[in-house]
Amino acid sequence: MIKKLIEIVGQDNFTDQLEELVPYSYDASMNVHRPDAAVWPETAEQILAIVKFANEYKIPVIPRGAGTSLSGGVVPIRGGVIIDLSKMNRILEVSIENRYARVEAGVVCDDLNRELAKHGFVFPPDPASSTVSTIGGNVATNAGGIKGAKYGTTRDYVLGLQVVLPTGELMRTGSYTMKCVSGYDLAKLFVGAEGTLGVITEVTLKINPLPRHAMTAVATYARLEDAGKAIFQTMTSGVIPSVMEIMDKVTLQSIRENTDIALPDAEAMILTEADGFTWEEVEAQMEVVLGILKNNHPIEVKTARDEKDRLNLWKARKSAYATLARVSNSFVLDDVTVPISRIPELLVGIQGISQKYGIVVATFGHAGDGNLHPQILYDEYDPDQVERTEKVEEEIFKLAISLKGTLSGEHGIGLSKAGYMTLEHDPVEMDLMRRVKKALDPNNIMNPGKRALDD
Amino acid sequence: MTMSIQLQFDEKRRKAITQCSRCGFCRAVCPIFDLTKRPITNAHGKIILLKEVMEGKLPATEEVAKAMLRCTACMNCTVNCPSGVDPQEIVKAARRDMVDIGFDNLFKAMGEVVEKYGNIYGKEKRRDWGHRKERAPYLLFLGCVGAYREEESVKETLRLLDILKVEYTMVDEVCCSGVLEDVGYKIKEDLARRNIQEIQKTGANTLITTCPYCYRVFKDHPSYKDLGLEVKHITQFLKDFDFHVKTDKKVTYHDPCDLGRHAGIYDEPRQIILKIAPNFVEPRRTRDNAMCCGAGGGFRGAFAKESVKIARNRLSQIIEDTGAEILLTECPSCLHNFRNAKRQKQKIEIYNLTEFLAKLYGERTLGEKEAA
Repeated sequence: MIKKLIEIVGQDNFTDQLEELVPYSYDASMNVHRPDAAVWPETAEQILAIVKFANEYKIPVIPRGAGTSLSGGVVPIRGGVIIDLSKMNRILEVSIENRYARVEAGVVCDDLNRELAKHGFVFPPDPASSTVSTIGGNVATNAGGIKGAKYGTTRDYVLGLQVVLPTGELMRTGSYTMKCVSGYDLAKLFVGAEGTLGVITEVTLKINPLPRHAMTAVATYARLEDAGKAIFQTMTSGVIPSVMEIMDKVTLQSIRENTDIALPDAEAMILTEADGFTWEEVEAQMEVVLGILKNNHPIEVKTARDEKDRLNLWKARKSAYATLARVSNSFVLDDVTVPISRIPELLVGIQGISQKYGIVVATFGHAGDGNLHPQILYDEYDPDQVERTEKVEEEIFKLAISLKGTLSGEHGIGLSKAGYMTLEHDPVEMDLMRRVKKALDPNNIMNPGKRALDD
Repeated sequence: MTMSIQLQFDEKRRKAITQCSRCGFCRAVCPIFDLTKRPITNAHGKIILLKEVMEGKLPATEEVAKAMLRCTACMNCTVNCPSGVDPQEIVKAARRDMVDIGFDNLFKAMGEVVEKYGNIYGKEKRRDWGHRKERAPYLLFLGCVGAYREEESVKETLRLLDILKVEYTMVDEVCCSGVLEDVGYKIKEDLARRNIQEIQKTGANTLITTCPYCYRVFKDHPSYKDLGLEVKHITQFLKDFDFHVKTDKKVTYHDPCDLGRHAGIYDEPRQIILKIAPNFVEPRRTRDNAMCCGAGGGFRGAFAKESVKIARNRLSQIIEDTGAEILLTECPSCLHNFRNAKRQKQKIEIYNLTEFLAKLYGERTLGEKEAA
């Protein structure tokens, strides 16, 4: 195997040295398993050769972007070869006149946006990891971000893909057009497939003009129900804010106690933003939103329109993850998503579960699209806490499903949530998913062991 | 080679290593990862290695020791870490541990050279820089890299201080040897004592360094606690001077890691630059997010080729961002690395700020002569 891989990618782009493989055994979740080798291919043709070889000898291959996944999606649970796409990082084409960008899978999200910004354009999905996450990884996990309610997720921007299929063919699918119903939408089948169906090597993305203005507001509430009402009233008011974030009491308390950011003692904080082409447009939207925020008994409401004030209002939300990461040894960051009007029930339910098991759970997230991030804080070296944390996670999943929600809004299933797939998907659907997987990947070489597809 | 010695991790270090949430955000700023795309070269990869060593899952091997050497200690990951981890401190501690358990690295030889010759290059002869006064209020300390690798630049810096009529003196300096602590070894107490004695003999009340690393060592290292002088980096010293020269050229500035992130000195160089160069532009990555030139933390010594490639990347980035004609910095190591990295076709001129000032004075004098 070693000889063949070196022949394909060259000595400098191959490793099977233990120490180099150790970082490839991890992502940002708690899952760990060693691969047998790692390669840094530089062309789709090299990947094609690797996959052909792997398929012949039934060796697992695991495509990997920046490895920021929170679900174990890139952890090589059955060993095999890591295909690290970081060296395939060329922006191949920016076609402003046709509103698309064509990039290699390893292009970093922010690097693409820096290039697009020169033309006044943007690829809108903005995962928190956008400084490092790769477009290929964003596509494979259907990454979302803060602006999901207005601008959707990666799926909404994928026009076409180039994919190396598990059976050893290079396929182009999709189009360069804004519309396309020519055949099955195979490109979208690979979006969010977490590398279980093939290796994405190139992506054609729809791009948007950059909004020129934005205005921000923050409101705090003494009652969770009031915050919940403010959210769904806003989302049904006719205005769709570009940002609609919520932070719960535990998150706010943690920020208050561990940073110098002044925050009121509140049950919930909402951060919202309206954007647009002109100030008039932004102000008109904000007037509606502010009316709703104020009508629902807030403790206080603050607004900002210049950059400095904006950053100030964003400070608490931006520091949420970091503050929580600092107060505990370990954490699990989930991404359950519910219909927007069920957010208060989800928040109250999570707090109940947290108290039941004596494990701190701080929740914040994208209220505008119902996607919340319960951050479960614990100590990975305390077996009792590990066990309780697993129970907390399971109950949160069950709660989300009972509210007509989903296990994952934007992180993916990977290994961490594989055991819960049947909570959400009935046997008929599970069976079809497995048949799709089998049809494309008969030897189960593509990122095996994930999402309960091959149990 | 695998040795079965286990490293001991105290509570503080366990905590620091466990604190890493493996978010990987350090990939965005690590100059070595930027070059190699290999996770083991990134802060997050190194911390994972140490976590496994700590948990007994991975033996402390020579390869682990080698991996720890691949860090410029630039601290860019530290300032960007959402989890509040300081990877370069963890890496430096790990380097010491690896030496303690028997994995000596190539800096052992450098330590011996420093001890024998008083400089990191093993030079027997030192250029006579003049400027010896019995007594003077200011003492100028050059450091090894400037004195032995960027002599022309140093000459200009001295000329500037003369033009500004600064009453300063110099001594038979030896290497401050602080850098040895970054690469797994100990500072040379003999050299520190020798420097302190020589410096104190002059009766100076302020020690001025051109090298930001020497600045940090004199200011903060316990071996220099009895120095008894105020320590200033040359940009701090010069910030309130009036300069009667100007340039219309487009000028930009590279923050040295040792001066910026490590010492917090960002404003002083800019205060000086703004007095002489109205056409000043910041690079995109600047101040506490400035990308490293690749020279620090012993990286240039251990991995010269990769180090100069990093300098090349940083230089291209600066040129692309700013379109500047002049790149200024104030660190002999950055200067040296950039000058080595610069390609012929790149038109940008690279100077230490003090050197550039002296050059402007030189041009003015020339202009006056021609006019006369």
